[in-house]
Amino acid sequence: MADLKPILLVEDSPNDLELTMTALEQSQIANPVVVARDGAEALDYLYRRGPFENRQDRDPAVILLDLKLPKIDGLEVLAKVKSDPALRSLPIVMLTSSREESDLVRSYQLGVNAFVVKPVGFEDFFKAIRELGVFWALLNEPPPGGGMLKP
Amino acid sequence: MSSPKANLADLDTCAQEPIRIPGKIQPHGVLIALSGEDASIVHVSFNVSRLGLDGESVLGQRFDEAVPTLARQLQPLLDEVRGRQEDGPSRAIMIELTGTGGRFEASAHRCGDLLIVELEDARAGVATAGEPDPDLRAFVRRLQSTASLDHLCALATDEIRRMTGFDRVMVYRFDENWNGTVLGESRNDVLPSYLDLRFPASDIPAQARELYRISPIRIIPDAAYEPVPILPVLTPGTDKPLDLSFAALRSVSPVHIEYMHNMGTRSSMSISILQGDRLWGLISCHSREARRVLPQIRNACDFLAQIFALQVGALEQAASATHRMHLSSVQTKLLGFMAEEDSFVSGLLEHPAEFLEVAEASGGAIVVGDSIRLIGEAPSVSEVRDLADWLRREHKADLVATDSLARDRGLPATETSPAAGLLAMSISQVHTDYVMWFRPEVVQTVKWGGDPTKAVSAQDGSIRLHPRKSFEIWRETVRGQSLPWSRNIIETVRELRNAVVGIVLKRAEELASLTVELQRSNKELEAFSYSVSHDLRAPFRHIVGYSEMLRNQEGSRLSERGRRYIDTVIEAAFSAGTLVDNLLSFSQMGRATLNKRAVDLNMIVEDVIRRMAPDIGDRQIDWRIGRLGSVRVDPVMFKLAVENLISNAVKYTRGRDVAVIEIGRTDDQSESVIFVRDNGAGFDMRYVNKLFGVFQRLHRAEEFEGTGIGLANVRRILERHSGRVWAEGALDQGATFHMALPNQEAARNG
Repeated sequence: MADLKPILLVEDSPNDLELTMTALEQSQIANPVVVARDGAEALDYLYRRGPFENRQDRDPAVILLDLKLPKIDGLEVLAKVKSDPALRSLPIVMLTSSREESDLVRSYQLGVNAFVVKPVGFEDFFKAIRELGVFWALLNEPPPGGGMLKP
Repeated sequence: MSSPKANLADLDTCAQEPIRIPGKIQPHGVLIALSGEDASIVHVSFNVSRLGLDGESVLGQRFDEAVPTLARQLQPLLDEVRGRQEDGPSRAIMIELTGTGGRFEASAHRCGDLLIVELEDARAGVATAGEPDPDLRAFVRRLQSTASLDHLCALATDEIRRMTGFDRVMVYRFDENWNGTVLGESRNDVLPSYLDLRFPASDIPAQARELYRISPIRIIPDAAYEPVPILPVLTPGTDKPLDLSFAALRSVSPVHIEYMHNMGTRSSMSISILQGDRLWGLISCHSREARRVLPQIRNACDFLAQIFALQVGALEQAASATHRMHLSSVQTKLLGFMAEEDSFVSGLLEHPAEFLEVAEASGGAIVVGDSIRLIGEAPSVSEVRDLADWLRREHKADLVATDSLARDRGLPATETSPAAGLLAMSISQVHTDYVMWFRPEVVQTVKWGGDPTKAVSAQDGSIRLHPRKSFEIWRETVRGQSLPWSRNIIETVRELRNAVVGIVLKRAEELASLTVELQRSNKELEAFSYSVSHDLRAPFRHIVGYSEMLRNQEGSRLSERGRRYIDTVIEAAFSAGTLVDNLLSFSQMGRATLNKRAVDLNMIVEDVIRRMAPDIGDRQIDWRIGRLGSVRVDPVMFKLAVENLISNAVKYTRGRDVAVIEIGRTDDQSESVIFVRDNGAGFDMRYVNKLFGVFQRLHRAEEFEGTGIGLANVRRILERHSGRVWAEGALDQGATFHMALPNQEAARNG
């Protein structure tokens, strides 16, 4: 299954990283998971530069992007990707602790494909990750006030 | 009966009359005018024969040659008058003319280049005097110890009546518009009382008033007199008629004679009262019969009147100062009220007595933006709105005072309007907001003992001039007029305005700084909750996550007790996380903007119930849902409120075999009310106040789970919609929750 597109997980918290990885593992999703620990690393990966200059794998099937990240934060990464014609089609799921409406609105304005607030219960989280792996849209939150959802 | 208007026209003719140069004198004396240079006789009255002279022949002769005895006796008086700077009559001296047996009181005055000598017949029995020797000293003492104008008037009129023997002596005062009022009166039973009677300004025309101002005293001993012509008609050299402004014998206007006749008076005397240069009023004396008062007594009366004038001046100044102080104290009180209240408007509204007193008004209004509040006897709200529009259009001054709105606005006067007069102050820089005071028509505030409403009787049909008529004319003159706003009141209101504007501006500044403060603390709060949502929520998620992994992977190796511990950790961390979520949504509820639209309530309720299916499980619930129609609300928020109430109902009916949950709508005039009723655990009404507070719970956690935020959220959502929420219930008897939206927010499904 070397042809499978990877899942890019951008996450700075080691706890969240372990929990998400565990959930992905248990979901028996076959895709390889690439981890970036901050926004800068994520962009380096996507643009095949720096340490990723010679990476051979395909672009990710989905980017699971934490909102609060060191160096370059999630919203900036989102903005960068969605404004680049070459990368725009990559689905991005905001995976975040934030329930802030402003973040939600901003993310949808920037063209996020889904916005998932990490549930408190692990069972819910596990379920969310598993479903995301199959189809990220199941748990996405609609934009507030019926805002537009960009394709 | 002629109309008052016609009367005004007649009196207007009087105003045109040459009253200073009538060319005639009254017959109770003889007038001789001498050239100032050589004392040759320039004019004589036709009755100069009384001195034993032939009128025509003495003209042009030297005075001391024509009548040497007279000239000798008059010499000191003439010298005195020649040396004087100011006009006006001299003192009177007694003249005896031997041969003719004449006895005269003589006085003289200057008139341009001429000297006018007047000789009044003073033979015993011809003149009737009162007391020739007034005790002026005692009178002045009494006058000075008097503190009220009424009493002052009584003293002066009594004294003058005693001195002159007139039937009635009145104090007559002019107002700012020269209308007159009888302030005080002393009389016997011969003539009727005119106390409080009003006279229109036209009764004493401007030229007459001016004459009164410069010449202190006038006398008509017998209105039925035959005027005596002055020879020649024109002064040789100047070809002008002789100016009799200061002549006591001056013949008066026929209109005046007619007025006297109609009043039933045959003799009169009037003394001018001046304050500074202004004619303040008159002391006016009348008798039914002819009555002569000789110059010496007249002069004593004049002297007395001057003392009266001084005293009145002092009294009025003192009264004005006291009045001003009183108004200031009322104004200070008002300011205190305004400072205590949230807005200066409520400070004024809460204290209508002081509000009206500060301007001595009977009504008022406060116009701030679209809001109009009325106080006391005020016009309708729409009239006040018109008035404010008129002020905005026509007046740029901070303070507008008028005693006749009808006149100023060119509108017909309505007798019953509570706003004949207006005093308005603008209380914003751009003159959009006003505080107004109203006064009714002055006629409504005046009463006259003589019954002013009684019209002139039928037999008076031909009578044009009469005090009753005067009163009628005065009523017409002041139609639509209020009492004028005194200088004291205007000054007080001006100070009030400065203070109010100060308060308004200060409030605005305070509000502005409060807004800045509020925005900052709001920002802080946002930052705080943002960080809470990330940083506080994450550890709870991690605790739950790791504990669940531990239970899943290692659970089989743990003891029963160990597994219970882990379950408790998970449960506790989970509820802590949920609490954070709820807190955040509560804080967001207060900040989020409302997106209102018409929402079908039944759809919302059905959706909520469908989503609650997992919680309901196989419980038996009898849903009784009415026809709920639609409301205009923010759908997301309102749905949350509905969800909270329904999930509460589901939760608290858990112990019932068959739960009954009823959802309905009852609207009234002002509100649309949606209620959710259940037959569950209910609550004790004693704690109803705690129901909607944050973290307030009426049940123990092991009975019913919950974070104590749900109902606080419901209340906040309703408040955001300008609505309200309340509950009724009894322990174990179920509960009913009501959500009310103001009617403009609601729209029944048609």
